[in-house]
Amino acid sequence: MKSLWLLTVKNLKVLLRDKGSALIVIFAPLLIILILGLSYNNSGLYNIKVGVVAPAQSPDVESFISLLQEQKFTLKNYDGKVDNCLQDVRTGLVHACIDLPESLQVESNNPKEVVFYVDPTRINLVWMIQETVSSKFDLKAKEISQGLTDQVLGTLSTVKTDLQQRGQEVSGIQASTSSASSLASSAKNDLSNIDVNVEEIPVDPALAQNLETMVTAALDKVNQAQDELAALNLSSDQESQLAGPLKSAHNSLESTLPLVSGNSTGSIGYAFFLLQKNVQKSKEKLDAVKNTLAASSSNLDSTQATLQQTLDSLTALQNAINQMGSIIDQLKVTDSNTIAQPLTTKIETVREEGTYLNYLFPTLLIIVIMFSSLLLGTTLVMMEKNSSAYIRNFFIPVRKATFIAATYFTSLFLNIVQIIIILGISLIFLKDSLPIFPSVALILFVTASVFTFLGMALGYLFSSEDTGVLASISLGSLLLFTSGVIIPLEAVAPALRNVINFSPFVIAESIIRELFLFNSALSDVYINFLVLLSYALVLFLLVLIIEVILHKHLIKRAMQQHHLKKQGKKMVKK
Amino acid sequence: MEFIQLKDVTKVYAQKEVLKDVNITINEGDIFCIIGKSGSGKTTLLNLISGLIAPTKGEAVYFSRVDQHEKNLHKNIHHIKKHIGFTPQNTSFYDKLTVKENLLHFGKMYGIKKATLINNAKSLLQFMQLLEHRDKLASHLSGGMRKRLDIACSLVHKPKILLLDEPTSDLDPVLQKEILTMLREVNKQGVTIVFATNQLETAEEICSKLAVIHDGKVYSQGTLDEIRNPYIDEYFTIRVQRGEEKATILNYLRQLPINKVIDEGQEIKVYPDDIAVTLQGLLHIIKSENLNLHNLDIRKPFLREVFEKIVKSNNKE
Repeated sequence: MKSLWLLTVKNLKVLLRDKGSALIVIFAPLLIILILGLSYNNSGLYNIKVGVVAPAQSPDVESFISLLQEQKFTLKNYDGKVDNCLQDVRTGLVHACIDLPESLQVESNNPKEVVFYVDPTRINLVWMIQETVSSKFDLKAKEISQGLTDQVLGTLSTVKTDLQQRGQEVSGIQASTSSASSLASSAKNDLSNIDVNVEEIPVDPALAQNLETMVTAALDKVNQAQDELAALNLSSDQESQLAGPLKSAHNSLESTLPLVSGNSTGSIGYAFFLLQKNVQKSKEKLDAVKNTLAASSSNLDSTQATLQQTLDSLTALQNAINQMGSIIDQLKVTDSNTIAQPLTTKIETVREEGTYLNYLFPTLLIIVIMFSSLLLGTTLVMMEKNSSAYIRNFFIPVRKATFIAATYFTSLFLNIVQIIIILGISLIFLKDSLPIFPSVALILFVTASVFTFLGMALGYLFSSEDTGVLASISLGSLLLFTSGVIIPLEAVAPALRNVINFSPFVIAESIIRELFLFNSALSDVYINFLVLLSYALVLFLLVLIIEVILHKHLIKRAMQQHHLKKQGKKMVKK
Repeated sequence: MEFIQLKDVTKVYAQKEVLKDVNITINEGDIFCIIGKSGSGKTTLLNLISGLIAPTKGEAVYFSRVDQHEKNLHKNIHHIKKHIGFTPQNTSFYDKLTVKENLLHFGKMYGIKKATLINNAKSLLQFMQLLEHRDKLASHLSGGMRKRLDIACSLVHKPKILLLDEPTSDLDPVLQKEILTMLREVNKQGVTIVFATNQLETAEEICSKLAVIHDGKVYSQGTLDEIRNPYIDEYFTIRVQRGEEKATILNYLRQLPINKVIDEGQEIKVYPDDIAVTLQGLLHIIKSENLNLHNLDIRKPFLREVFEKIVKSNNKE
């Protein structure tokens, strides 16, 4: 147990006395946590730039814009020019673009559509922006939905008041109708009491008397005709031809005369007697009907008046219903879906939809190049520095810059091999990207240079290979964490973000993203490219200075250690 | 001809004077040894001569044949690097390169033409007995071979001066001898050799000139005899074959001006007041008495003895 304690104490002493190791092993993680803590110790999104494309600044649009401003978004108005806004999303000048309709007021059953344009390649940022903007958007939609519901409820209230008023009229109609109904019922009873049954009259007596007269007259005429015929001196043939029918007619009339004369039973006169009697009865009955009809007519007049009143009431009611209908018709939004969701959103991307590999590929490229360059730079310097040949190299008549350049080119060569392999493999997945590979390769070359020099600087600053490599990994991790790849850069405090925006990782990644995802030309990203190139040159000079200073320091330290070691031996001997 | 000179050079590390007012002159063709105990400042002195470090005070100069005058060594180190071969105490080459690759690499770094370099490398490999191991990785070589490769790397560009820091330390006697033989051969080819060592026998065997350094100060320098002379006349030993003769010699010796006589059995150690007078008297007695003398050793002191005396006397100070 004691030995365990002693060994632990010894390990701590050894670790802490190696300043480089102590710095990187103990303080580097703390430093990283401190920087990341300061960077991301907030819950909001800072300086999200949202482009607004609104054809007209209607009050509701302005109110929505105010809502966005409350979220600390920086808004940029594009005056309806959506293409300009999309271009700025691509270049990262704005993070999202919102294409608003002229007004957010919903005036039909078709909901209003708001289109969000986002850069799908910035996967983590897209969702954050979408979520934040959508929350404001939902608020606005809720407000509009509430307005629409209020309209519907107001209309219903008006209709309800109207209906209450009209209810009394309906009661009047009900009473009038009831009265008309009883009057009609009474008229019906009266009419049903009218007896219109009349006995059948077989013969008309008057007609019989007339017939008797007519038959007697006809007989007289036939007799007169026979007499006149006889007076005529006609041939026997002519006489026989005319006297025969007259004789026949005379006989017929004589046989008919008893039937039409007198009032005996079976005669026409008797028949007429009976008929007259019946007519008398019928007249009496009809007089009764006349009286009944007069009464019924009076009743029906009352009914008609009542019904006219009812008709008027019904007309008034119909008008009221029509009016209610027109009030309801004034409601322009009647679709329940539209009322519930008056605004709809549509998410559009500023580039063609691709796979996550498409979006992540630029970042992956830079991560690979950054870590391999940093580690190669550090390792190569460490290898040379800790090589037994380091002292001999002092006597070689070669400039220090040449040594540095050799280390750089070694690293670069290996990086180029990696780049070729990565880009070669990527062709399988990203066949369309071949034309931009030369530009991408150039940027990767400069990026690799920057990180190689950074790695080399670390290699010179740290004494042991392990701590140097650890420092490289720590630096790489720090650059990665503060690059916006894991947590969006927009979540970093503004002051720090201004610094982070100059991180070579961020710059290189943005250039590659531009080239790879938006097919931009190198001339479009020349400013960032120049910054990256400047980094490479400055870091080369820095490495040169560090090498010059540290070379002297290393020789001095080697000599000092050599001297102290020997002194120590001497002390032990004594 | 003066080649390199240190003038009143002082070097301070961590506020401690590692070298104090050192004056040294190395001539062309010398095998110049810097001898001293561990931590005495040998390596620092060697590094100063090599130009690896600059003095805190004083000046290191070299004689420029082109300009025919002295030039500051450190200010002009970039011009004379190609004339210096340096073999540090620990081997200084790339372990992951083969013997041949190491030689060719360092040769190319000095800008030697390919054909010349190949010839140089081949002759060096032969000379260093590494020819058959030329394709071995340096890390696979034995200790002696590594040291030979290290020296070969220092010689591949044919320097005018070869600086070696304890080249024979950690080597067995056979390997030490091999290395010394090689160094002699190199020197014969016109290369001035400067090396630091704490192996006094080695220095005694090979060096044409020495500098004795102790606690950062050079107490003595010159040829071996020049260093040894101040300590040469202290005693001589006489070895006789028979006991009677020894008694006769002892009797006669007592008549001579002698400080002290120590009888060590078969040997008599004589500490004369004046060695010339004593020897003259002694030879006269031997001749007149016809004595049979087995051995008369008028021995010069070993470098180790001289060194110990220097150290001892300066420690007393």
